[in-house]
Amino acid sequence: MEHLVRAAQRGDPEAMDALVRELMPYVGRVCGAIALDRGDDAVQETFIAVLKSLGSLREPAALKGWVRRIAVRESIRLAGGRTVAMDPGTMPLPEVALTDVATSLDIRATLAALAPEQRAILVLRDVDGLSEVEVARALRVPVGTVKSRAHRARAAFRGRWES
Amino acid sequence: MSHSGRRGPEGSWPVAALDPIGRAKVLAATIPSAAFHHGVIDAPYDAVWPWVIDLEHSTPRFDSQVDRVVIRHREVQGDVTHLRMTATSHGIGLPFHVRIEDGFCMMKGMARLYLVVMAAVPEDGGERTRFLHMEAIPLPDTGRLRRFIQHEVDADFSNLKRLAESGFPDGGL
Repeated sequence: MEHLVRAAQRGDPEAMDALVRELMPYVGRVCGAIALDRGDDAVQETFIAVLKSLGSLREPAALKGWVRRIAVRESIRLAGGRTVAMDPGTMPLPEVALTDVATSLDIRATLAALAPEQRAILVLRDVDGLSEVEVARALRVPVGTVKSRAHRARAAFRGRWES
Repeated sequence: MSHSGRRGPEGSWPVAALDPIGRAKVLAATIPSAAFHHGVIDAPYDAVWPWVIDLEHSTPRFDSQVDRVVIRHREVQGDVTHLRMTATSHGIGLPFHVRIEDGFCMMKGMARLYLVVMAAVPEDGGERTRFLHMEAIPLPDTGRLRRFIQHEVDADFSNLKRLAESGFPDGGL
């Protein structure tokens, strides 16, 4: 991966495209779950931002975390959320209807009922498997905020599953 | 774009993606000299794409700057075909590395002297073809060449569209 990053930083289009292909599954998961219907656009904007600023990435080993931050930022922006450092702890969690069956559509509906910033916490914690500290670092919010938001978001999901 | 809402491999989480047109647009937006033309061709994808990627026959017909294309080596790895070919323009041959996938073709000239990307997706259930044609000189400090390249790209797209919409006369598949 380091070789690929270095070649892409030198502007090699094959390496740039290979990097996009390599990162696509990960970026697709992050953007899809946060930006929902704008997920594909978020993926495109993420890769444009990544490749345009790739020269500023000094350590290729930090690539995934760096890309994650960009993907979250672009997803929230396109989903209509705030683009700067956010404080999801102050946001009211919407009421979630507890009437649906547990299907993939149900997950999507539950996600859609959350603010983009809240979806970001849930995705990084439960899909990406980051620790609370890592999520807080990625989103630039306090760890306590991550804990409370993740707890409430999961509760919304459990309510849907158990209804 | 049309891929949002697919279900992820883990089960239910929504997973987004980049189709071949989006992938080409990413490159077009990040290579300073890149010029592209993007539009819909009123011909079926299943006719347009196979014709386009027959590069020896297609390229000299829609690109007025290319006299001849000769495939030197062909290797198929799964869904990807890798070619080594030489494109001759005004009597000068330039070797290219080519990567072809369904809906995406990247041709990189030796020493990054030239880059061509073509991307396509079915439109209207495959009855028409959304197509993007991009060219660039992916070397440092070449951004000012973009407007010259744009002229060539527009002409190439226009030629391809005309050929496709007339059923590829004299050489269609």
